Amino acid sequence: MTLNSLFRNATAAAALLVAAATQAANDKVVIYNWSEYVPEGVLEEFTEETGIEVEYNTYESNEVMYSKIKIQNAKGYDVIVPSSYYISKMAREGLLAKLDHSKLPNMDHLYGTLLDKPYDPGNQYSLPYTWGSTGIGINTDDIDKNSITGWKDLWDSKWENSLLLTDDVREVFQMALAVQGHSANTRDPQEIKQAFELLKKLMPNVLTFNSDAPREPYMAGDVSLGMIWNGEVIMAQEEMPEIQYIYPKEGVILWVDSFAIPANAENKDAAHKFINFMMRPDIAVRTVEYTGYATANKTAIRQLDPETRGNPTIFPTWEVINRGEFQEDVGDEATALFNQYWEELKAGM
Amino acid sequence: MNALLAHINFRKLVITLTISWLGIFVLMPHLMVVGTSFLTHDSDHFASLPLTLENYRQVLDATYAGVFWNSLVLSGITTVIALLIGYPFAYLLSRMGRVSRTVLLFMMVIPFWTNSLIRIYAIKMLLGKKGLFNTVLVSTGIVDKPLQLLYTDFAVIFGLVYILLPFMVLPLMASFDKLDQSLIEAGRDLGANAFHRFSQIILPLTMPGIVAGCLIVFLPAMGMFYVADLLGGAKSLLLGNIIKNQFLVARDWPFGSAFSVFLIVLMGALLWVYYKANQYVQKKGGMDDQNL
Amino acid sequence: MTRTSKSRTFSGVFKWLFIGLVFLYLYLPMVILVTNSFNKSKYGHKWSGFSWKWYEKLWENDSMMQAFGHSLLIAGLAATAATLIGTLMALAIHRYKFPLKNTASSMLFVLMMSPDIVLAITFLIIFIALGIQLGFWSLLIAHITFCLPFVVITVYAQMKNMDPNVLEAAKDLGASESQMFRIIILPILAPAVLAGWLLSFTLSLDDVIISSFVTGPGFEILPIRVFSMVKVGVSPEVNALATILLVMSLTLIAVTTYLIKRQNPQ
Repeated sequence: MTLNSLFRNATAAAALLVAAATQAANDKVVIYNWSEYVPEGVLEEFTEETGIEVEYNTYESNEVMYSKIKIQNAKGYDVIVPSSYYISKMAREGLLAKLDHSKLPNMDHLYGTLLDKPYDPGNQYSLPYTWGSTGIGINTDDIDKNSITGWKDLWDSKWENSLLLTDDVREVFQMALAVQGHSANTRDPQEIKQAFELLKKLMPNVLTFNSDAPREPYMAGDVSLGMIWNGEVIMAQEEMPEIQYIYPKEGVILWVDSFAIPANAENKDAAHKFINFMMRPDIAVRTVEYTGYATANKTAIRQLDPETRGNPTIFPTWEVINRGEFQEDVGDEATALFNQYWEELKAGM
Repeated sequence: MNALLAHINFRKLVITLTISWLGIFVLMPHLMVVGTSFLTHDSDHFASLPLTLENYRQVLDATYAGVFWNSLVLSGITTVIALLIGYPFAYLLSRMGRVSRTVLLFMMVIPFWTNSLIRIYAIKMLLGKKGLFNTVLVSTGIVDKPLQLLYTDFAVIFGLVYILLPFMVLPLMASFDKLDQSLIEAGRDLGANAFHRFSQIILPLTMPGIVAGCLIVFLPAMGMFYVADLLGGAKSLLLGNIIKNQFLVARDWPFGSAFSVFLIVLMGALLWVYYKANQYVQKKGGMDDQNL
Repeated sequence: MTRTSKSRTFSGVFKWLFIGLVFLYLYLPMVILVTNSFNKSKYGHKWSGFSWKWYEKLWENDSMMQAFGHSLLIAGLAATAATLIGTLMALAIHRYKFPLKNTASSMLFVLMMSPDIVLAITFLIIFIALGIQLGFWSLLIAHITFCLPFVVITVYAQMKNMDPNVLEAAKDLGASESQMFRIIILPILAPAVLAGWLLSFTLSLDDVIISSFVTGPGFEILPIRVFSMVKVGVSPEVNALATILLVMSLTLIAVTTYLIKRQNPQ
């Protein structure tokens, strides 16, 4: 084989590969979601039933998702799953498309209490997928569970260089604001500054920030106390039942992850079909079992086995929910202030 | 294909390709980053007029002094350790037979085929309280209870050296390959002892390799945000963490650009050092060394 | 005589001890990956028995396999294109005089020395400015570009060792520039070109930082997939994948070595 023909063959092969990689199927939907946030096999079933190909892309934080959507001018992805207040932020900036409720008959299965929230009145832009909370994680082999009751306990100097905080500016500030009795959604610079001062005192206790699987440091034995998401505890308990979840008495941090469609999505029809499919009760049941997070689907909750349904870590009591607080968009100015203090906290360590 | 090639002036084609590719994808974007650093933050359009020096004022703010210092120290230590390991390693490899040398080089590179992120996760497991290191330390009785290795500067340096070591070894090997054995022999014949042969002949002649290796480790080390995130517990911040946060989280592109410009300027300064080191060697050893 | 040979063996032992330690450092994390890929436990913090299940799961995990395929595709294409373009660039810098030549070589230096994070944002900004959709093409262009300097340097070094008389002779015989390149220069450069390709392939597969900035819809590659396994952590299927890659590449080396050794037993 001469170099020349080698070269020609290589070019031809490359062209073929490129074509294969970029070819667009007629019917497809591009999902942009948290990784492993859809139960195994569900995407394949969707394709089987509807003939629509699914492309599943993943992100590691709301901020990254938001930046990518913004950079691409709300094009390229068909379904996204932002958390609570990102819905209102993105809707306000014209990044989301209005949902056509007539194409989403399965929304009848959803819980009324999770609909029509302040971040999306009338659910024009979003429908809830799963919801959960951020509370206190504890390894009961190392620490007496009764000794920890609220966020305030994390400030105790005996936890020097040992706590885990989520790597999320709003969640960490919400904790401090809750301790001071302020709302997590405050825009008052004075209150935010007070929270910042309080958090500065917490920093010597912090060993690590983690929003990529906060359960990992608990399971690896590196951390015995700190913040955690409830679903993470459920997953950790599969192997280590001693890792438990505490609803702090100052109030837990609540969030909802919702389906939405970017404003300039190219396959809006398929996107509606996908969202409707995910809201089917049997799929919602599998979602709870797979992710460990609560579903917004009331029909599905009735179909869950009693043990899962009765698990207070997945489904908190009304009392807990009422004491907790959902995050809302606080506007650009307060967001910038939160971010600035956050950088200062981390840079000062 | 042949006919096509014959029609186009090959020389012109090659030159146009070189200039346009580097111009469009390297020079222009770097200039745009510099430009962006003088713009004003605008959450709707990433950046907008008017021109301002505010971003640089913010960069020099006391808040970030700690991050700069931390980055410099961590990268500096990483570079020194990589050099201390890489130098003898490259020397030993360059003295081997062709086959075993190639095989060992390959063995060094192979782990890179599994993505570096995956390997950093593995290092995380290695250093944890229940990880291999602590298990060995505790079971041999060297320590009574597991050490806090993970989420420390030690872990970050461990990871940085791990990722960057080959970048130190490769330019050093190139230097050793060019090392004229007869010069060392001559030194031996003239009665220079091992230490003198090393400090008077080997070290100066491999200086370009050392400087190149150090540069190619030191600068990138400051940008490795995921190593600081995963092994340092997202708190031993590197410059890379700040730049990434400004671009993908806080979305203050002008501010993030100002930080990058700082790195670009630092790179310019270090390249100058490299250039000087090369000149020094050319004067001293009469060797010509344009490449790493 | 005995003293020398004794100190030889001593330094020989020392030499292999040192090399062994360096490789221990490089391969210890790989050992952990391999071990955990066979660990029944999902989280790998303790050994709960041998199992093939992560390999089965990996096989069934279409989107992970797809991301992996995309990574290999990008690495293959980027390495090939970078080798092609880089070789031509090395030729331009070595043989031709042209305006902006110094600028071009400094750009290559900048590319090589720049921290990935700086390159990542320069790429992001230029793609947005040029209106290039983030995805396959943005990834490919970025990967080709950051591989270029490594190819140029490898090839350029070899070019300098080339005998200029051969080219002069060819010119006298009436060879065109492109013929000279294909018939004379390229074959001489073949080993350096191959080395450049391998280096590019490696750099592309290994990249995290640049990819995470320039990736886009519809074309996900492995590091992005791994990076975003946040709500559930990194699954052991990734370990299985890493193990397969490792075994494949080590086999490749073993076979190549065997072939080389057989070809020239000396």
